[in-house]
Amino acid sequence: MAFRFHLLFLLIAIVSASVQAELTLSKVDRKIDLTSHIVRVTSTLKLENLGPGVASEVLLAVPDYQANNLADLRAVINEGKSSIVLHIEHVSPEVSRPEFTFYSISLTKGLEKGQSVTLDVFSAFTHSVIPFPEEITQADSQLVLYKDSAYFVSPYAVKVQTLRIKFPSARVESYTNIQNTKLNGTSIRYGPYENLPPFSSSPITVHFENNRPFAVAKQLVREIEISHWGNVQVTEDYRLFHGGALNKGGFSRINYQSRQVIGGISSFRSLLARLPPRAHSVYYRDEIGNISTSHLWGDSRKTELEIEPRYPMFGGWRTSFTIGYGLPLHDFLFESEGKHLLDITFGCPMDEVVIDELFVKVVLPEGSKDISASTPFPTKQWQEVKFSHLDIVGRPVVVLQKTNVVPEHNLHFQVHYRFNNLSLLMEPMMLISGFFFLFVSCIVYMRIDMSISKTSASYQAKLQWEEMQATVQQVRGIIGRCLAIHDKLDASLRDLSRTGDVQQCKATRKAADGMLKELSKELKPLLGVLQSSPQASQIWPKVEELAVKEREMQERLMLKHSMVVDSFEKKSGGRDIENRIASHQQKISALKHEIDDLLDAIDEI
Amino acid sequence: MAPTPITSPVPVVWYPTLAVLMLSVGLMVTASFFIYEATSSRINRSLTKELITGAVASFFLGFGSLFLLLATGVYV
Repeated sequence: MAFRFHLLFLLIAIVSASVQAELTLSKVDRKIDLTSHIVRVTSTLKLENLGPGVASEVLLAVPDYQANNLADLRAVINEGKSSIVLHIEHVSPEVSRPEFTFYSISLTKGLEKGQSVTLDVFSAFTHSVIPFPEEITQADSQLVLYKDSAYFVSPYAVKVQTLRIKFPSARVESYTNIQNTKLNGTSIRYGPYENLPPFSSSPITVHFENNRPFAVAKQLVREIEISHWGNVQVTEDYRLFHGGALNKGGFSRINYQSRQVIGGISSFRSLLARLPPRAHSVYYRDEIGNISTSHLWGDSRKTELEIEPRYPMFGGWRTSFTIGYGLPLHDFLFESEGKHLLDITFGCPMDEVVIDELFVKVVLPEGSKDISASTPFPTKQWQEVKFSHLDIVGRPVVVLQKTNVVPEHNLHFQVHYRFNNLSLLMEPMMLISGFFFLFVSCIVYMRIDMSISKTSASYQAKLQWEEMQATVQQVRGIIGRCLAIHDKLDASLRDLSRTGDVQQCKATRKAADGMLKELSKELKPLLGVLQSSPQASQIWPKVEELAVKEREMQERLMLKHSMVVDSFEKKSGGRDIENRIASHQQKISALKHEIDDLLDAIDEI
Repeated sequence: MAPTPITSPVPVVWYPTLAVLMLSVGLMVTASFFIYEATSSRINRSLTKELITGAVASFFLGFGSLFLLLATGVYV
């Protein structure tokens, strides 16, 4: 059964192949635009099927001398108001001739007998306008040659056809004159020619003036680095070259500056890059450093950067530079079905630059998985790893390579990948652990004992001294806590005079009393240690005095407290209370002073 | 499902402020860490206190320096 089906398909294939020969072009209009150094050909083909079968594809023949320079080829079918882009692929059909390269356009629906369809075929060629003479001086205008066929080269017979060539200026040195040729200002018209058999051609050459910038990037590396912290950084590394007639006889800056109109007409001094809107942190530099001759302006829809190389570009001169800019993340990065999606333009943002070799490197954040790239035209793809700031395993890089790129390739392409947002915390974690390591090493350094001789007298003395210091600190801490309790007692007395809550005041005193007792218990062994320590001989009297004074102050305070509470209970007058505690109060303030002085003295030691 | 734009976890305009705030807090905690190291004696130095201060300081310094990098345009 399967075999039968295959046979059937084979038969259909043979039939449809034989049918192709029955196609004919009833009308062909070609327009060749030579106004820049990129040759753009727009052909309108009216196809008619004379044969019995159904035609589903159309063949295009490109002569080999043009095929290598073919940068872009696309076909559009106009149906009503909408236009459909048709699929084109490189084929080698039976009618193949060695001097042609064939492309096959697949029609959206088969063309039946007697029907006709109109196709628009657009193609762009690079390096097809050849400077002649090959070398010119600074003052000369640039003349170029372009070769093509006056007839549309096709595997089908053509009934009626015309060709129009458009020049950048009215200066046309010469052109091949065959029948029905008419030069009209800045354009030339060949045709109409009628009833030409398949593969008929008539070579023509036109020689004309073209002073447009022949800017060719030998190599352009675009690096698009995504940071989920909010930035898409684009870095473009150009190796630019003037592809026009070579400069001879040297360069005179005086002639160039003083007579700009005629001096250096074939050169160009600036290029305009159309960057996406909201581009920020734009820079323009080369190996030496920043190049200051650039201008940047923009609004909400675009950003424009005009750059001037360090010297005007004459034929054959080359320069290399880098431009870079940051773009807001939310304009280019999207999330769809759990996958991240980068959507950004492929080609170079500059006007009319031909790129011989373009590398687009998309640097994804570390930890991206399931990476895939989709471009609207075929490119060579592979993956690399790049190490950048705070990376451990490196960032995955998708590299897209394409040769012969023209501004028509400046389309959006997509890179899909999976990324876990938790991986964002990798970088701060690395920084945090770095700092923490610093602190831990400090802690360790402060704790390790670096001395060589652990038995020497001075080492022992040092140890004891440290121990004594620690004890004094502890004593100081306990005294500090006692003083805090004293303050609390005073505060409770003030509360009493305000609220009259005797019970509360008594409770506070009881608690304070308990705490003070505990503290004095804690203090006792420490004082014992200090007393017996020979190292503390200097400081001991002070500490002892401090302890004694503190105790006295405690007692006085308690006495004062109970006196005030008692008098309060007996409802004595305020003046009376004050008189009774005056002596205590005086003594307490004096003690406080002394204690403060002692503490200062201890701190000094 | 239509693709939704992705934004940074923290608004980009906050980065300079966050960098200054977190770095100053981090440096203050670092200062207190080193003051403690220098003033407390070897015997009554508390390891937990040291580790906690160090951890807090490194948290603030880590995020502060990250935001400093981001604010200066080094998108890590």
